[in-house]
Amino acid sequence: MTEFVTLAVGGLFLGAIYALVALGFVTIFRATGVINFAQGSVLLLGAYVIGRLDDSIGFWPAVLVGILAAALASLLVDVLLIRRVRDADLGTLAILTLGVDILLLTELTRQIGTDVINIGAPWGDDVVEVAGIRVAESRVLAGAVALVLVAALAAAVKLTDWGVAMRSAAEDGETASLMGIRLNRVAAGAWALAGALAAIGGLFLTSFPAAGVTGGIGLVALAAIPAVVLGGFDSPGGAVIGGLVIGVVSVLCSGYQDELSFLGRGTGAVAPYVVMLLVLLVRPSGLFGTRELTRV
Amino acid sequence: MRPEHEDVLLDVRDLRVTYAGAVRALDGVSLAVPGGEVVAVLGSNGAGKSTLLRAVSGTLRGQRGAITGGSVALAGRSLLGSDPADIARGGLVQVPEGRRIFTRLTVAENLRAGGLAARDKPARERARGWVHELFPILAERARQPAGLLSGGEQQMLAIGRALMAGPRVLLLDEPSLGLAPRIVEQLGEVIREINREGVTVVLVEQNAAMALAVADRAVVLEVGRVALEGSAAELAENEQVRDRYLGGVTEPATGEADEPAPAPASRAGELTVDRLTVRFGGITALNEVSFSVAPGSMHALIGPNGAGKSTCLNVLSGVYAASTGSVRYGDAELTRLRPHRVAALGVARTFQNISLSPGATVLDNLLVARHRLMREGFVSGGLRLPRARRERARHVERVGEIATLVQLQDVLSTPVGTLSYGMRKRVELARALCAEPGLLLLDEPVAGMTQDESAGMARAIAAARAELGISALVVEHDMGFVMGIADHVTVLDFGRRIADGTPAEVQRHPEVLRAYLGSAA
Repeated sequence: MTEFVTLAVGGLFLGAIYALVALGFVTIFRATGVINFAQGSVLLLGAYVIGRLDDSIGFWPAVLVGILAAALASLLVDVLLIRRVRDADLGTLAILTLGVDILLLTELTRQIGTDVINIGAPWGDDVVEVAGIRVAESRVLAGAVALVLVAALAAAVKLTDWGVAMRSAAEDGETASLMGIRLNRVAAGAWALAGALAAIGGLFLTSFPAAGVTGGIGLVALAAIPAVVLGGFDSPGGAVIGGLVIGVVSVLCSGYQDELSFLGRGTGAVAPYVVMLLVLLVRPSGLFGTRELTRV
Repeated sequence: MRPEHEDVLLDVRDLRVTYAGAVRALDGVSLAVPGGEVVAVLGSNGAGKSTLLRAVSGTLRGQRGAITGGSVALAGRSLLGSDPADIARGGLVQVPEGRRIFTRLTVAENLRAGGLAARDKPARERARGWVHELFPILAERARQPAGLLSGGEQQMLAIGRALMAGPRVLLLDEPSLGLAPRIVEQLGEVIREINREGVTVVLVEQNAAMALAVADRAVVLEVGRVALEGSAAELAENEQVRDRYLGGVTEPATGEADEPAPAPASRAGELTVDRLTVRFGGITALNEVSFSVAPGSMHALIGPNGAGKSTCLNVLSGVYAASTGSVRYGDAELTRLRPHRVAALGVARTFQNISLSPGATVLDNLLVARHRLMREGFVSGGLRLPRARRERARHVERVGEIATLVQLQDVLSTPVGTLSYGMRKRVELARALCAEPGLLLLDEPVAGMTQDESAGMARAIAAARAELGISALVVEHDMGFVMGIADHVTVLDFGRRIADGTPAEVQRHPEVLRAYLGSAA
């Protein structure tokens, strides 16, 4: 039983990281309608920059630079590519981001090679133990940071001018622009924010218990996509819930790998997609997504 | 009352717009809007009104439209190539057609979104105060999702949202569309009030009566050009504008309908419907309905949805059977005849939904209707015997005459499928006429048509009636159309006849007003 609770709690904390990445994904989708598959490689870029710089400029400055680098990279995808073809159909735009993802991922993997770059986080490999449940300190921190960021973002979307502009643009872009809302700025803000969230997610995904930054982290980050699909593409709350569900499911499947051995190995990596498919069978718009309506 | 500037605030010159590189929507339109005035832009669907607004507000690109010539300037500064958001921030704000409020935002958030373009915070607060004063309901419902507002309230929110930006010029695209007459009246008052505060208004409307009542001056667009322009008072008096845009409903005494019918020697018999009742299971679709259509007259059957109009037409053409009552045409009792026997008596009908052969030419579609009049058989026709060819030539000539009557003479060899909707409806009319009927039954001949097309249809029906001496029974929703062409009107509501008389009488009938306008009227 303790083992189950330990795994479930660990899953929730991992899920919090997925939730951050998924939230960036949803932000871009709501502001511009683009499904951004480059989110995983931007995450890797952020983590890579932090890992490379922390020896020379110290950990916290490296984190700052990493977040900025990821935000800038994400912003550039929008400004240099997406903005020029904004009227193209959503499938085309999604494939464009897939191309960006492959390019960026290939280059970063080439840079990293077979290294495992230590992220140099000050919390190291400490473990917290409460009532027999052991969780890595870095994961607890990740959960706390995710909680604060999600709450702050929700408040900003609800209460600030930026949030009103973004929600207006999400509902009816043309009308929003007729009201003087600059769609390009709303979009750029969303892309940059998503990049920053990805970098923060990357920071925690590559901290203990993970070994460090490897080329494979970009793929791990893809688990945010089932989280988004599960939650519903346009629902920030859905992204958070989806992230948590995916985190718990994949940790449980990995933890009980031996009991699940009749399914073969690596169930933890497959589980998020299985859950996603099962949910879509019942609710095609995800748990909290807006249903697509067509007037006949 | 109004500020008397003569300086031009919004200046559109010789504007040309094409869609998708091919379709020319505006062909040299100029519009000078003096500061402080209300200028109305009138015209039917497809005249280019919305294109003009899109060109001014910078939103053509999303529709694959492009400005190919001319200029648009606000206070001397060119707007061409600007982003819509920058145009809005520059003081020209458009209220889009169909209101397009942000339904998932609250009322207050909608106003806030509009206020993002305001100069500064104090300007925003002033604007909010004014909007709440103009539309107190928006303050009352501030926290509700905007999607829950009624149509009229949504229109108010859309206008209020635009005013939050503190515009110098407000563009209104069809604000009265889909609103009840009482609300439209309020809307006119609101537009005047907004203008009194110094906001210049460009009002694009199909509802010419409302627009001309509010505007200082107006232009009429027709197929991408300015057809008429002048002061609103001049245009309201203009014959052409009265006929085309004010219609019989808003100005019942245009006279046209009261003129005696030209009625040449009619070949039609009298149609008498006597206490006709039709029941479907337990539902009584028609309840003891009686009326008669005099030979050579134009009779309209109107009523709200579900009143029994189509049921009545279907009994007349033999598609439905009557439960009780009788329908006599000339000497024949129609209620006991099959549809093709009814047709053989000289009763032809058109359908609400077009049923033509799209691949065949107009001529061939029309010749099909001559079938009942053709004597030569399959063999002589197939062998192209001289008498078959002579007969065909005779029919082709007659079809040509009828086509000319409804102005289809130029498209006889065109496949029907390539014609516009309005043209195809006229082909339907011509096909019914080609059967040489005495009585023509028209089922919603102008449903879904633009005002231009509907006017073309009215001309075609009037010409056919004058030339061929037929009587016609027309079922139609469009009150303006009916009032313009009918001599006599029967009004149905819930399967009962509630009124019967000349258009002018029917329009004043209290029961009719109740049925159409609700108890408020």
